[in-house]
Amino acid sequence: MAIHGNKRNYWEQLTKDKIPERKTAVVDKNAKAGEPRQDQQESATIQDKPAKQDAPVPATSSAPPSGERRFRQTDLPAHFIERRKRPRISTEQPPPPAPPCFGDYEPIIGKPELDEIRFLARHLRGKTVKMVNSTAVGGGVAEILNRLIPLMNELEIPTRWDVITGGNDFYEVTKGFHNALHGGEYNLTQQIKDIFMSYNEQNRQRMEFAEDLFVIHDPQPAGLIRAKSPNRGKWIWRCHIDLSNPHPGVWDFLKPMVEQYDATIFSAPAFTRQLNVPQYLFYPSIDPLSEKNKDLPEEYVNKVCDDFGIDRSRPVITQISRFDRLKDPVGVIEAYKLVKKYVDCQLVLAGGGATDDPEGAVVLQEVMEAAGDDPDIIILNLPPWSALEINALQRASTVLVQKSLKEGFGLTVTEGLWKEKPVVAGAVGGIPTQIIHKLTGVLVHSVEGCAYQIRYLLTHPEFAAQLGKNGKEHAKENFLITVNLKRWLLLFQILLGMARPNATL
Amino acid sequence: MATATQLPTTRPRWARSPFYFNSASHLLRIGREKATTLQELLEAIRTCPESSIFQHTFQTLAEHHFIREGFSNDFSQWAFASCNEVGLAERLAAIDVREFTSIAALRERLIHIIDTYLQKNLRAATRVAMEPFYLMASDLVVVPTPYVARNLEEFADGLRKVSIHSIYYHFIDARLRLKLNNNDFSVWLEHDLDMAQTADRLNRIDIYTNTLGGVRRNILNVIETELSRA
Repeated sequence: MAIHGNKRNYWEQLTKDKIPERKTAVVDKNAKAGEPRQDQQESATIQDKPAKQDAPVPATSSAPPSGERRFRQTDLPAHFIERRKRPRISTEQPPPPAPPCFGDYEPIIGKPELDEIRFLARHLRGKTVKMVNSTAVGGGVAEILNRLIPLMNELEIPTRWDVITGGNDFYEVTKGFHNALHGGEYNLTQQIKDIFMSYNEQNRQRMEFAEDLFVIHDPQPAGLIRAKSPNRGKWIWRCHIDLSNPHPGVWDFLKPMVEQYDATIFSAPAFTRQLNVPQYLFYPSIDPLSEKNKDLPEEYVNKVCDDFGIDRSRPVITQISRFDRLKDPVGVIEAYKLVKKYVDCQLVLAGGGATDDPEGAVVLQEVMEAAGDDPDIIILNLPPWSALEINALQRASTVLVQKSLKEGFGLTVTEGLWKEKPVVAGAVGGIPTQIIHKLTGVLVHSVEGCAYQIRYLLTHPEFAAQLGKNGKEHAKENFLITVNLKRWLLLFQILLGMARPNATL
Repeated sequence: MATATQLPTTRPRWARSPFYFNSASHLLRIGREKATTLQELLEAIRTCPESSIFQHTFQTLAEHHFIREGFSNDFSQWAFASCNEVGLAERLAAIDVREFTSIAALRERLIHIIDTYLQKNLRAATRVAMEPFYLMASDLVVVPTPYVARNLEEFADGLRKVSIHSIYYHFIDARLRLKLNNNDFSVWLEHDLDMAQTADRLNRIDIYTNTLGGVRRNILNVIETELSRA
């Protein structure tokens, strides 16, 4: 495998900052398996065969049917052109870093905040918690629990994580439920209901329910509520999905179960349904110490830009998201083209999902066609282990964009706010919760609006800096894992009757 | 000749009773009310629990403590950003929560402002907003801190060390607890240290043109000035 020549010196320098060594390579997508070669390109990220620089392609031409992009002639220095043709993308999944300790957050949130969380935890010391979800790896819920549960245990609140089991028929049903709860069509039959309930019952019989608090995540294990006993424990249903427009039949089936819980939690007010049990708002959170969000040395940011051919002397507009039409990457390109008439800038569209998702590959092709021969549009189809690179790309950007047409909470927006960047985003899903228009970012509703706001930010750096500053404070106040942990501790105390709202502990 | 250990020329003035710094943590509950028009908002404000009025006026100051610009409560922000009713937004933003020692009085003021505006702007009442307004409620839990002040120096030290939520709790939230147009810091300075003028200076610090960090700095400026005079 080809490794970039100057990597050793560079990584020696970076080792001091505890960034793990990553292998990068340029791979020929036509090479036989296991035979990537240097100076050949990986997958369909950027054009496979660049146009000769002395043979410019008319600006109006789109990508040829093969999916290859050709760049028109440009003044861009040759090394940028070369890198854009052959970006260095890491080919090895690094080992996961050890989760941080609670005390590691002190430089981020301050000692007083940390002390308050410790105080809340001290009151709960010895109380036991069981968290249940449907998967141990992959997906946002598992990612959250992987971070949250070690912190709870470190604070001496013994917390156990159980995962329900089921056959393929169960997971087909729960996948169908998931889509139906997002508003999709679904044919709910008695047999489907029986499959759902029988696996929930099997899991109920398999598990012990001896804890003080039970937190059941999402619809899949919602039927475990049958284990609720009148004299033992409080039950919480944590719904991570948007229930604003559910399939009526599926929701009518689940609702009687949900209403047996002592409390429910949603990620945004718009995601809820009318229920006769208390509904709490827990925003999704990011971990400021994760690979995706931790501080990076400037040298590493420069190195990633160099790997991808990004010119840091000119403004960089970036959207990080998988290649999905709901993220409107083509709309972002249209907005960039409007901006480019006034400001010499670059656009980075970086994400994944085009390798393992057939629709993602189609969207990537559409994006490449829309990008045409503009060498300043850099399209990166990154592997799932690119958290550090995404972190660096966000930090290298002048403006971050999330021009979604439909969105869940939009954690890429949170990541941008945390990095003190001005964010321009579509006013959909949970984004308006994060972006207070013109205070913590800018909300847009169209390509033209997106273009105008980007232009304004690029030409008013003081305003952009103020948005970034406010955005970071907003993220710190509301969307960090430590805030999330505090919310859990408060809810546990309230449900167990240990804290009375509006009374001193 | 040996001399006795020099005593400080000034001794700290001891408070009659110590000041215990607390802090406040809050949990957001999603309410049942939702408004898609200003008329619906008016109805929701009439009927929602007091904890919702508290959340969207007092508590929002704590949640957005880092912002100086913009509208100062959630109702005015929504009238501006989602309903495009700048006139109403300005009137709602002019509400200074420090003038209210009860939520009932604050609710009445909100109702009066919106009702008056809608009577003069009939079409504004039923025009559908770009985003709905979801009424929330706040469960506030008070958390003690280890910081205690028995004199002005310890008070300044505590102010420097506590979280911003503690400043909010003692300086803003206190009004509803005390049922006074005052704050915990000023009450302590006046009653336990006989420093009425200092207390008054603190109480006049503007919470709307400052971030809570700025409020903390202003309070400290007043206290440090007093300490330098001692």
